[in-house]
Amino acid sequence: MIENIEKDIIAIISEVSGYEPEEITPETDFFKDLEVDSIKAIEITVAIEKKFKISVRDEDVPKIATVKQAVDLISNLLENKKI
Amino acid sequence: MEKPDKDAYDAIIIGAGMSGLVCGCYLAKAGLKVLMAEQHHKPGGYCTSFRRGRFTFDAAAHSFGGYAHGNLGKIFKDLGIDNKINIKQHDPSNVITSPDHTVSFWADIDKTIDVFQSVFPKDADNIKRFFNFLTEPDSMSFARIRSWTFKDLLDKYFTNDRIQAMLSFPLYGNGALPPSRMSAFIGARIFKEFLLDGGYHPAGGMQVLSDALAAIFKEAGGDLRLSTAVKKITTKNSEVSGVVLEKGGFVPSLYVISNSDARRTFLTLLGKNNVEQDLKDRMARMVPSLSTFIVYLGVDQAATTLPVSGVNYWYLSQYDLSTAYLSAKKGDFRDMGRYLVHVSPDRSTVIAFMNAPYGSKRYWETNRIVLSDRLIKAVEANTIPGLSKYIVYKETATPRTLQRYTLNHAGSAYGWESTPFQLADPDFRKPSFIRGLYLTGHWTTHGLGIPGVAYVGYDTARMVLRKKTHNCQKMLN
Repeated sequence: MIENIEKDIIAIISEVSGYEPEEITPETDFFKDLEVDSIKAIEITVAIEKKFKISVRDEDVPKIATVKQAVDLISNLLENKKI
Repeated sequence: MEKPDKDAYDAIIIGAGMSGLVCGCYLAKAGLKVLMAEQHHKPGGYCTSFRRGRFTFDAAAHSFGGYAHGNLGKIFKDLGIDNKINIKQHDPSNVITSPDHTVSFWADIDKTIDVFQSVFPKDADNIKRFFNFLTEPDSMSFARIRSWTFKDLLDKYFTNDRIQAMLSFPLYGNGALPPSRMSAFIGARIFKEFLLDGGYHPAGGMQVLSDALAAIFKEAGGDLRLSTAVKKITTKNSEVSGVVLEKGGFVPSLYVISNSDARRTFLTLLGKNNVEQDLKDRMARMVPSLSTFIVYLGVDQAATTLPVSGVNYWYLSQYDLSTAYLSAKKGDFRDMGRYLVHVSPDRSTVIAFMNAPYGSKRYWETNRIVLSDRLIKAVEANTIPGLSKYIVYKETATPRTLQRYTLNHAGSAYGWESTPFQLADPDFRKPSFIRGLYLTGHWTTHGLGIPGVAYVGYDTARMVLRKKTHNCQKMLN
């Protein structure tokens, strides 16, 4: 499950940033390493919301800075959705 | 990956608007083989000028911001624009007048804050806090308000309707939305670029800027073809393979970058059958921004009542911009008191703008002259006394004129409306269902205005170059 989320996140980050999936690791910092700016941060969030059918809070947008952080946030939101 | 055709381009850019030009310059400078096809006979899109006798008119865009402190300065420096043209800042950049107040935006932000504080003394602290937020160095601060409207942002600082309207009116003019619909993210960006670092104009007119970018593109080996319309974007196995030109047939390319209207890109050029149903459904629901009605005036050299040239003068007759928006959308122009007027730096021309709906051909045939006369009268009453007696040349552009020259859907002035719901949609940047296709410009939902679309153009080039470099390395290995 988590591995699938990770794969989907990497695909999204690759599309938005232009970097190849193999260049993106769970710890890659989107802002520092992939030159993701504020509009791309929003674009990543919009793509995540669409893909996983979840709603990310505005204040969490800047917190999605690595694949690992994205996976944790999405897992939590999906878990809460079940309840 | 198939063996590349030796005649193939690395990238074809459809449309030489500001975003296409910037993108093309970066790609050509990086050594890519690039074709830029523009249907009009001059480059620039909304950033063009035209001549009538001794008068040169900027067709639509007539000043820009974000040059000294924003991304535009970096882009122009990268491309060497500064060596080619002379860019001047006009100070103040914007002056907003209502029946009760006048406020000016100066290059020195402290001076602007002083102006607002003296006009609205009760809100002195709130004004300071609001401007501090807009100039906050943390680039992610605007991302935290991505679902807010600009009204939500203003409500955090102000309860006074008048100050809210005075701060929102330039956004009503530069995004065609009232604060209750304008995305706070985009609104804050326009504010920062256009109002806090605005008033720039290239000597000779806006065409000079577009021509300089076109020249840089060509000097770097780019192939710019004017009066060249694209008929189709061709694909093979869900990947772009090139374009078909109206005259000239198929041209192969690895990447296609569309600086054209989004609906046209997807529904006409790519073709309905090649577009995901979900995107077609969304596009049917999405709202394009309003268009603009423009009056171009050549004025007598004896015109002594003209205000300071190069400044954007806004006139606001009342403070309810939501109603103003709905009236403009319906084509209800009983109140002409919401306009922008600009005197060219050479003081020979005056241009007046107001938001307008697309309207039928008949609507504009009936209303064009009447509206032009009424707009001139309104400007004369509120901004330039005696204007009509100095007019020696007069011309108008309706939304249909804008559509004809730029192919923007319904003559839309700013792409999709910049509402929070239509912000940063990935499919309008790089659609997931087709490889090798990128969109750039104000239809991407990622930015508008000259600094906004120039930045998207720069970023599109970066994305393409990352892909291209990677594919080249893969082929070498």
